[in-house]
Amino acid sequence: MNYFLKYLSTAPVLMTVWLSITSGFIMFINFVYPDPLTFPSF
Amino acid sequence: MKFKISSIFPQTFLVTVLSAFCFLQFDVKPAAADFNALVPCKESPAFQKRLNSSVKKLENRLKLYTADSKEAKALTNEINATKHRFERYGESNLLCGKEGLPHLIASGQWDHANEFVVPGILFLYITGWIGWAGRKYVRYASTTENPFENEIIINVPVALSIMNSGFLWPVESWKEFTSGDLLNAEEDITVSPR
Repeated sequence: MNYFLKYLSTAPVLMTVWLSITSGFIMFINFVYPDPLTFPSF
Repeated sequence: MKFKISSIFPQTFLVTVLSAFCFLQFDVKPAAADFNALVPCKESPAFQKRLNSSVKKLENRLKLYTADSKEAKALTNEINATKHRFERYGESNLLCGKEGLPHLIASGQWDHANEFVVPGILFLYITGWIGWAGRKYVRYASTTENPFENEIIINVPVALSIMNSGFLWPVESWKEFTSGDLLNAEEDITVSPR
């Protein structure tokens, strides 16, 4: 288990995980608020 | 030592300088000028035309499918999204050109700030956050026993706490700048032999 955690902490694996989260977040924003041409003024 | 006027100002130089004045505009408009070539998108006929033609294209495709098919549902959704998009752009402060497309105003004037200034500042803030967190982690790693390993095998709890506290980067970087920690001393910067 310790070795597995170490594997998950290596830079390439962590980068893949983190960029997946980031891209998922951006997709979610574009799904909820599509076609943002300007910054929304509330 | 004597100077001749013609040696200091050769004719070609004079011609260049004088002709440069021809291209200078003395009729400088104030920063908050209206944009004569642009109209609010709502009033632009070309904008309306674009809406109608995009909806028409989708409706023509819709005719190819039965009403309760999956494709028809997706196309109906797309038609609604298109209408909604044009409505939103029309109601916002956007200005449209002759061709009916919105033009973003990047002059920095306040009533169009949400088109360029606000997203631009947001971009700088977020990229600064990312860069600051990275810098802080590398500096943390250099204080540990094995700096190289800490850059390859990330210490996740430390990295997360650095990332979470990075939102204060403008304050922190200014503090480091005034205390002299942000920049290296001149003599520590390596230069190539010259």
